[in-house]
Amino acid sequence: MGAFVALGLFQGAVYGLLAVGIVMVYKAKRAFNFAQGEFGGIAAFCAYLLIVALGLPYWVGAVGGLAAAVAMGLLVERAIVRPLESSSRTILLVALVGVALFAIAVTVLLAEPVPRVLPPLVEGGGVDILGAGIQPQQLILLAVLAVLAGALAWFFRTDLGLAVLASSQDTLAARVVGISPEAVSRLVWGMAALVGGVAGLLYAPVGIFTPGFMTATMLVPAFAAAVLGGMTSVPGAFIGGISIGIVQNAGIYLLGQQWQVPGASQLSVFALLMLVLLIRPQGLLGKEA
Amino acid sequence: MGLLDVSNLRAGYGSVPVLHGVSMSIEEGSNAVLLGLNGAGKTTTLLALAGLLPVSDGDVYYDGEPLTGSPGARVRSGIVLVPEGRHVFPALTVRQNLRLGAWTVRGDSRRFRQNLGEVYSIFPRLGERSDQLAGTLSGGEQQMLAIGRGLMASPRLLLIDEASLGLSPKLTEQVFEAVKVINQRGVTVLMVEQNAGVLEQADTAFVMQQGRITVAGKGSAMLDDEAVREAYLGS
Repeated sequence: MGAFVALGLFQGAVYGLLAVGIVMVYKAKRAFNFAQGEFGGIAAFCAYLLIVALGLPYWVGAVGGLAAAVAMGLLVERAIVRPLESSSRTILLVALVGVALFAIAVTVLLAEPVPRVLPPLVEGGGVDILGAGIQPQQLILLAVLAVLAGALAWFFRTDLGLAVLASSQDTLAARVVGISPEAVSRLVWGMAALVGGVAGLLYAPVGIFTPGFMTATMLVPAFAAAVLGGMTSVPGAFIGGISIGIVQNAGIYLLGQQWQVPGASQLSVFALLMLVLLIRPQGLLGKEA
Repeated sequence: MGLLDVSNLRAGYGSVPVLHGVSMSIEEGSNAVLLGLNGAGKTTTLLALAGLLPVSDGDVYYDGEPLTGSPGARVRSGIVLVPEGRHVFPALTVRQNLRLGAWTVRGDSRRFRQNLGEVYSIFPRLGERSDQLAGTLSGGEQQMLAIGRGLMASPRLLLIDEASLGLSPKLTEQVFEAVKVINQRGVTVLMVEQNAGVLEQADTAFVMQQGRITVAGKGSAMLDDEAVREAYLGS
C-alpha cells in the first residue's frame, strides 16, 4: 500500500504540473485549455530530436524543447485564441481540442508513432520510498512542480499578475489604466506553454513516450486536478494533482488488486472528484465568485 | 493655446461616423464640461481622446504636441479616462483596483503611497473598504473607485464620462464635489454629463449636438442660456 501512495505522489506531480498551466489559462482567459498537454508533447519531441537524433548536449535539447513549446503557445494565441476573443468560450474550447488533435497528428506524420526513450536529466539508480522504486527524474519533477506552483501563486500577487486578472475581468478597464490586453494574452500563453513544456520534458524520460502521450493519459486527470483545486487556484492545482495521483494509485491497489474491480484507476479519480464537489462545489481552494 | 486643442475631429464605429468635426479648446487647470443628449457623440469624443477609438480625421494637440499613440502611452502622458459605467475590476479588491490604476507608474512606490493617500483623503469610503471586492460596492462607491483609480495614474487631464449616471441626487452632488476638489488640486478636468447641475461648478462648458460642438462658453453663464436648454431638452 505504501508503495502505491509513493507512486501516486510522483504520478500526481505530473498531473499537478499540467493542472497549474490549465489554471493559469483559465484564470486569464476563462478557457479550458485542452492543448496544455501538447505543449509538453512538442517539448519532448524537439528535445528528443536535438539530444538523441542529433546528439547535441542535453541542455541544448532542453532549451530547444522549451523554446518550441513557447513558440507553439504564441502561435496558438495569435492564430486561434485572438481571432476567437469575442466568441463563446465553448467555441474556444472546441478549437483548443482541435489544436491538441492537430498537434498529435503532426507529430504522428513527422515522427512515426513508435515508442521512444528520452534520457533523464540525471542518470542513476532509483531511490526506495515506502517500498516503491522512485527515479531521480521523478524527484526532480516533484521539486520543480513545488517551485513552479509557488512562483505562479506569487506571480498573481505582483502588478503583472494583477494585470492578467484585470484583463480577464474587464478588457476596456484594462486598456483604460494602460494595460495592453494583447500583450497580456501573449504573456499568459507563453507562460502556460513554458509550464506545459517543462511538464513534458520532465515526464517523457520517466517511461517511454509516443505522439500524444501527454494528452492521452495525463490531460484528463490533470483537468480533474484543476477542478478539484477550484480551477482558479494555483496551490489548489498543486494539491489537486497530488491528491488525484495518490487516490488513483490507492484505488488501483485497493479496488483493482484486492477486489478485482475493473477500471479502478479512473473510477477512483472520478469518485474523489465527485465527492469533493458534492461537499465543496467551488473546489478545495476555489473562490465562490 | 490650451492644454488640449481639438480641431475638426472625426471618428466613429466601423463605417458609422459619429463625430462630424469636433472642435474645442481646454485651458490647463480648467474644470470643463461637455453636455449633450444621448447619441450626440460625447462618449465617442472621450474614447477618441483616450486612444480607444481610431480617429478618421482632424487634429488633436495635447500640451502643444500632436496627440497620437496607444491608450497606455496617453495614460503615461497624463490623459486618463474614467469610463462610462464605472468599469471597475469586480473580482479584485478596492486596493488592487487602485494599484492597477497606477499601472503606468508602477515601481514608483513613493508616488503610489502619495496618490493612494490622496485618493483615500478625497474618498474616505474607499479607505474603509480597501479590502472589499469592487464588485460588492454600491454604485456610488464604484464611481468613487473608478475616479480614484484614475487619480492613481497622476493625471494632468482627467476625462470623466457620466459620473452621475444611475446615482441618487445626493450621491451625484458628492461626486461632483469630489471632482471640484480634484480640479482645485491642479488636475484639468473634462466631464461628460447629462446632468446640467454640473454647470454650477464648471468654468468652461460645451454643448454637443449630432457630432458637433454647437455652443461653447462659461459654465455659469450657460445655466440659463436658451440654446443650452434647447440642446438639452430637445425643445
